[in-house]
Amino acid sequence: MTSLFRTSSLAAVLIAGTMALAPAAFAQDKVITHPQGETTISGVPAKVLTQDWAVYDDLVALGVPVAGVPSSNAPTYLGAIAADAEQIGSLFEPDFEAIAASESDVYFVAARSASAFETAKDILPTVDLSVNNGSIIDGLKANMVTLGTIFGLEDKAAELNAALDAKVAEVKAAAEGKGNALVIVTNASKLGVYGPDSRVSWVYNEAGMASALDSVKDGDHGGDAVSFEFLLEVNPDWVFVVDRDAGTGENAGAAAALLDNELFNQTTAAKEGQIVYLDSQASYISMHGYQGVMLLLDQVLAGLNG
Amino acid sequence: MLILASLITLAMAVVSLFVGVSDVSLASLFAGGMDSRAVEVLFISRIPRTMALMLAGGSMAIAGLVMQMIVRNRFVEPSTTGTMESAGLGFLLVTLFAPGWPLIAKMAVSALFALGGTALFLRILRAVPLRDVLLVPLIGIMLAGVIGAVTYFVAYRANLVASLLAWEMGDFSGVLRGRYELLWIGLVSAMLAYIVADRMTLAGMGKDFATNLGINHRAVVSLGLSIVAVVSAVVLVTVGMIPFLGLIVPNVVSLMVGDNMRRSVPWVAVGGAGIVLACDITGRLIRFPYEIPISVVMGVVGSVVFLYLLLRTQKRVAA
Repeated sequence: MTSLFRTSSLAAVLIAGTMALAPAAFAQDKVITHPQGETTISGVPAKVLTQDWAVYDDLVALGVPVAGVPSSNAPTYLGAIAADAEQIGSLFEPDFEAIAASESDVYFVAARSASAFETAKDILPTVDLSVNNGSIIDGLKANMVTLGTIFGLEDKAAELNAALDAKVAEVKAAAEGKGNALVIVTNASKLGVYGPDSRVSWVYNEAGMASALDSVKDGDHGGDAVSFEFLLEVNPDWVFVVDRDAGTGENAGAAAALLDNELFNQTTAAKEGQIVYLDSQASYISMHGYQGVMLLLDQVLAGLNG
Repeated sequence: MLILASLITLAMAVVSLFVGVSDVSLASLFAGGMDSRAVEVLFISRIPRTMALMLAGGSMAIAGLVMQMIVRNRFVEPSTTGTMESAGLGFLLVTLFAPGWPLIAKMAVSALFALGGTALFLRILRAVPLRDVLLVPLIGIMLAGVIGAVTYFVAYRANLVASLLAWEMGDFSGVLRGRYELLWIGLVSAMLAYIVADRMTLAGMGKDFATNLGINHRAVVSLGLSIVAVVSAVVLVTVGMIPFLGLIVPNVVSLMVGDNMRRSVPWVAVGGAGIVLACDITGRLIRFPYEIPISVVMGVVGSVVFLYLLLRTQKRVAA
């Protein structure tokens, strides 16, 4: 009799407990809206995959452990990638087998891997965190808010966004009255220019530096090839250099050597020494990762104040 | 006729001097005196670029002609025999392992690789009994694919794919005074081809035939290979690959003046320079003030002419 009573009371406690927990679990179903639709995520995801270094960057900034990362092009500014993180394919081609086998709770795609969404959404909850190049800072902040919601880290996200806003304001103040700017990309011995809709558009749009290209017929400016004559004629006050060869470390200084020539040396930027070298991986590979953008803003700030 | 062709090429060279972002015109040249910006741009940028175009175009076309003589096939040129790809592999390796070497040393390594790759191609050809006219370039393109794949693998492991793509793409936008002079080495080697043109014409008639006429076939072939390797390496290192050039120019010239190399070398040189000038000027104008790399323009023009030549051969065979 006593044992029966004890069992049933235990059962009652268990049932009561479950009933108390159940509504809470339902309440934690979150619907995340993103560029490719809506995704429902229940509870706080424990095992997280990302196909994009910018999202990895954001997650690290928030302190969320990442279980799966791209297999290539890890930006060095992120430091050592978690040793136990699984490699789930390149930036462009996800390894769907590995993704399915990992039994993860959430999967983030963005930019280069955005097209993986259609396939991935049937395997596990997938969120697209692509950012529009035209408004990188706003897009980044929106991503931080989204990630904060998903992982219940709203306060941390708000804190980081406030720090980002403060940094942007600082750069804006430093850029005030400093003239116009041109972002160029150097690759081997070739030159390209990045304009107001490119992956480094924040230099123009958010930091408030006027584009030196305004005097030129408008193109889509996605790293268009130009000659040194072009730089001479555009004559920017400031030049921000993304050195694509620098990522390897072997060719350190290659961009500086390329730019040290009779035509470029006549521009205001060269004469005044107003040339700022940007972290090429933060600007070229991750583009809108939180720490990457903060790093780039710091580099711009150091250049402008230096 | 040759004089007319030279005049057309020369006219294009003059046009090339006046096409660009900066204002360089007869008026601005005379208005500003010797220190004006126009004069400066002319000497720092326009003349070097025009020279580079003519040097690269002329020597690459001659390299194609020499290649066709040695292999005795109309459809080979340095980029359909693995030569260019080998030069690229050499340059990549030397950039990886000895980044501090001067450019000329890197170019020499690249030329050695080009030589090795072309020799490998000839060795493979010897093992192929059936010398079908289309089989030869196919083998070359396959070899080029294999060597290219090795190069990309190395570049991928070293995180250099973007750089590799950039310097393999033929593009004259970075040419300035002091940054193209290596191309003269290419011209000098191409001139060698003119000096030994008679022997090369005979060598082109086959090993036995040439030996019967007292030609040291082996020596002539080796010299030809060296010319091709040096020209390929020089052009690759300074401006990148220019597809089809070595293929279409000698073929068109052959249709016009025949296969005597003594006669055709000047034609090929002038024609190569002219077509490269035309393509580069086009690339500078289409999206002015931005540029389209010459390899893209040349790829479009070249593939059309190549198709024409291919279909023409087939028709002749069928008839």
